[in-house]
Amino acid sequence: MYTLEKKLLEEPKKTSFTYSERNAHLLASSKDLKKTFLKTGTTIVGMIFKDGVVLAADTRSTVDKIVADKNCEKLHFISENIYCAGAGVAADTEHITEMVSSRLSLHSLRSGEHPRVVSAMTMLKDHLFKHMGYLTAALILGGVDATGPHLYSVWPHGSVDCLPYLTMGSGSVAAMSFLEARYEDGLEEEAAIGLIGDAIEAGILNDLGSGSNVDIVVIKKDGTRMMRNVRKTGTISGDDE
Amino acid sequence: MQESAYSFSLTTFSPSGKLGQIDHAFAAVAGGSTSIGIKAVDGVVLAAEKKIRSELIEKESVIKVAKLSKYCGVTYAGMGPDFRVLLKEGRKDAEAYRVRFGEECPVSEVSRNLAQVMQEYTQSGGVRPFGCSLLVIGKEADGKPGLFQVDPSGSFFAWKAACVGHGASDAQSYLEKRYEEKLGLDDAIHIALLTLQESFDGKLTPESCEIGVCGGKYGSEFRRLTMEEIDEYLS
Amino acid sequence: MSNPFTLNGGTVLSMKGKNCVVILCDTRLGSQYETVSTSFPKIFKMNPRVFFGLAGLASDVITLHHKLRFHVNLFQLKQERSMPPHVFSKLVSTTLYEKRFGSFFAQPIIAGLHDDGSPFISSMDSIGATTEPEDFVVAGTGADYVTGACEKYWEKDMEPRQLLKVADKCLQAGVNRDAFSGWGGVAYLITPEGVEKFDLKMRQD
Repeated sequence: MYTLEKKLLEEPKKTSFTYSERNAHLLASSKDLKKTFLKTGTTIVGMIFKDGVVLAADTRSTVDKIVADKNCEKLHFISENIYCAGAGVAADTEHITEMVSSRLSLHSLRSGEHPRVVSAMTMLKDHLFKHMGYLTAALILGGVDATGPHLYSVWPHGSVDCLPYLTMGSGSVAAMSFLEARYEDGLEEEAAIGLIGDAIEAGILNDLGSGSNVDIVVIKKDGTRMMRNVRKTGTISGDDE
Repeated sequence: MQESAYSFSLTTFSPSGKLGQIDHAFAAVAGGSTSIGIKAVDGVVLAAEKKIRSELIEKESVIKVAKLSKYCGVTYAGMGPDFRVLLKEGRKDAEAYRVRFGEECPVSEVSRNLAQVMQEYTQSGGVRPFGCSLLVIGKEADGKPGLFQVDPSGSFFAWKAACVGHGASDAQSYLEKRYEEKLGLDDAIHIALLTLQESFDGKLTPESCEIGVCGGKYGSEFRRLTMEEIDEYLS
Repeated sequence: MSNPFTLNGGTVLSMKGKNCVVILCDTRLGSQYETVSTSFPKIFKMNPRVFFGLAGLASDVITLHHKLRFHVNLFQLKQERSMPPHVFSKLVSTTLYEKRFGSFFAQPIIAGLHDDGSPFISSMDSIGATTEPEDFVVAGTGADYVTGACEKYWEKDMEPRQLLKVADKCLQAGVNRDAFSGWGGVAYLITPEGVEKFDLKMRQD
């Protein structure tokens, strides 16, 4: 029964390499395979504020130059108290975060407690490190657990940063300019949401890999608030998308 | 030749067509403390008698009713350690189903998988059957409540109301009298506790029983009731 | 050898309407510039309410279809119910990601109706990154061109007949500008009343 999925839960490092030789042969003279993967050029931001953590992302996904989805979701659910913003190859960010979410939910069924952010971070970095950077996932992980609010960025090769405010993705420079100018410790919730929205908007407007709308998730000790399309920056008013 | 001559291996049939070890496993179940499940219109309940051998045991650490997945819960009669193995396997199966199909595993699928695991232990070499029967409750694919019994032989049944353990036969005849179609969840919880009381020495207390529910006023997710909540039903 | 994604050619499109959904494809099978067959449909009926389109390398289209057919049939037998479209979509996604480093060279599109009659569409890249937009999904060699046409002509809450007409127009507009697609087409219109199949009249060059 679901042998592969069960194996993944126990040993997430195992990925099938069937067909890889055939594919290498087929691709011998075609160097642009990677361009056919759905990517999220992306601006993602995470920030610690007075009562918890706030994460935000734009909603554009691209295949090469084509905008494949104008309103995709880059804020991935890990658990009720942990979320993860992802940039890179969409399938990787999607499936890696889901795998971690899955393993953590089994973990909390056993322990009867909410999972911790460090556990999620450790699982993510171990998985990425094992794959030596071949899994293209750049993640910002944030959440509040029994030990307080935490924010990490996890890089595709498996390194981790722990800072009070972080940006990633192709629009990270644009977003960081806002944070460097206006971030301060102990921001109020409204101010934090405002600042993080401005930072993503900077990505949407100045980076072509990012676009459309702003998604924000606010994680506090007493609950999580997911807000889709808080600002519709890239949309002409009156247009539905 | 004696029947017992064939009970050295559980995978060997006796001349009368019995697998001795499985019968013994059922005996282990029949010696366990009673567990009951009742399906109502709007939900389903599990109730289990908890035996605490000594006053010195930390009562909260003894667990008979467990959450298996978001919408499923399980209890047992028989050997606790064997139950834990099945619980782990069931949780993993339900989670693997969720990862593959993107929806919560229906309770019938959870039960079928557990039954499959238990059946494998009746036909493999070097193992013994599980010494417990399970009652599994949860949500079906169509959103309706479901209740299943899974036995050491690997067979499983859907019930309206079921019981396993040492008080099972008394409890069953009691339930047959008390059960009615169109039962509400609150009434089902009351009946479950009354049935437990029947085979219980002395008076039931929140410390000596456990309740798990899904549906009704408790929402569709499976949840174990707190001692305070159980106390309200008992008084 | 050329890119396996474009070796055999082919385009698939699906659009959402009001309580209905349509899925279309061309029927060409080629080997680069040479047309091998003009009757190679890329849409498969997985169950009465779920249709599945695959564009890409023909051998992978067939293999993947068979692989998924196996799981869908097993699901039906075990649970005695049809697999809902969103469940099928997730199944496709996990099946593709299993082969992350040796992927199938095919991009799937899923179209179907939920039990309550609401439409469902989704598309994926070859390693299972899913998008579930509210308008239309396209895959294959002519995808870029078809996307443009759909962007212009798709409207919210179209009735079945209008939906079919618009989708046909968009597919043909794109496919006729794509050398690797064409030579006839098939459309399935899925409504709560049932499924209708149409053969599309198309340029034959």
